[in-house]
Parts: sequence; C-alpha cells; structure tokens
Amino acid sequence: MHDNLPFTNKELVFLKELTRQKVEFIVIGLSAAALQGAPMVTQDVDLWFRDIDNSGIKKALKKVGGTWIPSLALNPPMFEGDHVQYFDIVLTVHGIGDFDAEKANTVDVPLGGFSVKVLRLDRIIASKTCLNREKDRMVLPALKSAAKALIAKKPRGAKREKRRSTP
Amino acid sequence: MQLSSDKFKKRCAQRRISLGDVLKQAGVSRTAYYSLIRKESVLPKSILRIASHLSISPVALLDNDDAKIKQIRRLQAKANVISSKYPECDRDVIFRTLLNLEKPPVERLRRALIRARQPTIHK
Repeated sequence: MHDNLPFTNKELVFLKELTRQKVEFIVIGLSAAALQGAPMVTQDVDLWFRDIDNSGIKKALKKVGGTWIPSLALNPPMFEGDHVQYFDIVLTVHGIGDFDAEKANTVDVPLGGFSVKVLRLDRIIASKTCLNREKDRMVLPALKSAAKALIAKKPRGAKREKRRSTP
Repeated sequence: MQLSSDKFKKRCAQRRISLGDVLKQAGVSRTAYYSLIRKESVLPKSILRIASHLSISPVALLDNDDAKIKQIRRLQAKANVISSKYPECDRDVIFRTLLNLEKPPVERLRRALIRARQPTIHK
C-alpha cells in the first residue's frame, strides 16, 4: 500500500529485526530529531551501532534482502538494498560521550509494536554545536526552537519519567 | 441518516429561538427544510452502501473540518504562549513541532524524508 512512500513496512521490519536480534543501536541526527517532533528535513536515518560486528545486523539485513558492504580504505561500511537505502551506519559521534554513556540520554520511541532508542534532542544539539559544520549551523536554530516546544509541551511534574519516552 | 425534526426543535428550544427564526437566519426556506426532513437519508445512497460494505457508520467517512480547525487553533495558541516565553525561538518551528507531536513518530520521520526528496526543496 505504501510502497512509494519512504520508510514503510520493510524499513520498519529491518529496525524491528535489529531490536529482535538484540543489536544495540541509537537513532541519531536529524532523523532522531524528526522522530521526536522537530520539523526537520533529512535524507537519511543515521544508526549508531554499539558493535558494528554484531552478527544480528547481517541477520536483520537478510530479512529485508539487504547487503552489508564492508568498509574499504576511507569508505565506511554501508547497507545496500531497496529497503535499507535510508539507513546510514555511524561509527563515531562527535561532541558527546561514547555509546554506553549516551545510551542513558535516549528516549524510547514507539514505531508500532516495537520501539527504538533515539538520541535526545539536547544531545543532538550538543553534537551539532560541537561539529559546527555549515550544515549544522543551518539547522541549530530550528533544533533549539523545537527543543523549547518539547519542553513546554511536557506536563508539569513529569521530568525524569517522561524523558524515557517520546511525547 | 435521516434528519430528526425532534432534534432540530430541541436545539432551538435550548437556544430559546423558534425554528422559523433559525431557518430565516440561516437562509433556508421552509420548503427546503421540510423536503430535507422527509428524506429517507440526507446522504447519497452510494455513500451508505460503501459504509455498509465497510461495516462502519457513514459519519466515519466524513471529514470533520471543525475538529481540524479547533485542533490547529489550539496548537497556534500554544505556539504563541511558548514563543512569547522564548522570544529567541522561531514561532513557526514551535508550531510545526507541536503539529508533529500530534502525529505518530513514524509519520514524523516519513515527512522529514519525503521533504528531503522533493527536488524543489534544493532549488
């Protein structure tokens, strides 16, 4: 039904399979911001993996007919296939802590029957502030405005509890 | 889906206005009103057949613009409150964030990806 739309069933199947395989990953970047409600525009869904050698990644890829392209020289590893075309592999995130530290700074976003860990908006802002590339500077004002909207939308007295799940 | 004259009268009574005055103010003739009341269904039969086939009420097939307008007005008012609290922030971004929060997360992401793939956006 939604085959012409991005991020439909197969992409969701891939993410669901990653979680079923207990692959630890965090959705980061502007797609993470969009999942939390920020009105962003993004080409890809960046996935930050704790262990890129986790065999569950290849099992999940197989489930949707995707292929693992190993890294070569300066080229990082990547996914190939119609249903994984939106996903980018991220090995390192600058400006914030390592994977284990940042795992505590995520929110669980439900995607229909399962949920994924998504880097909190303030951490996305911290990373982009540190990177300070032109493309980061362009989106930072919007990210900051969206962050204020999210804070204001949260009900009072629901600080830590609400941080763990998306509004 | 027949119009109920009883409901009409009841509403008029609640507002302490006569049916004749309501029709006059609404610009609806008595002939048109009684013609509608006598109709077996005010909805086209084809709509009733589709709804019946789907086992749903025909009302479920109707767009409720009023509800949508109220929702947008509520979010606009909320955006105004937030942007007055944080004047350094972009009100439009705040409003669009609030609008996005009304949608499921996967829909938010889908929109972000669709917009990025619209060729006009890069011109």
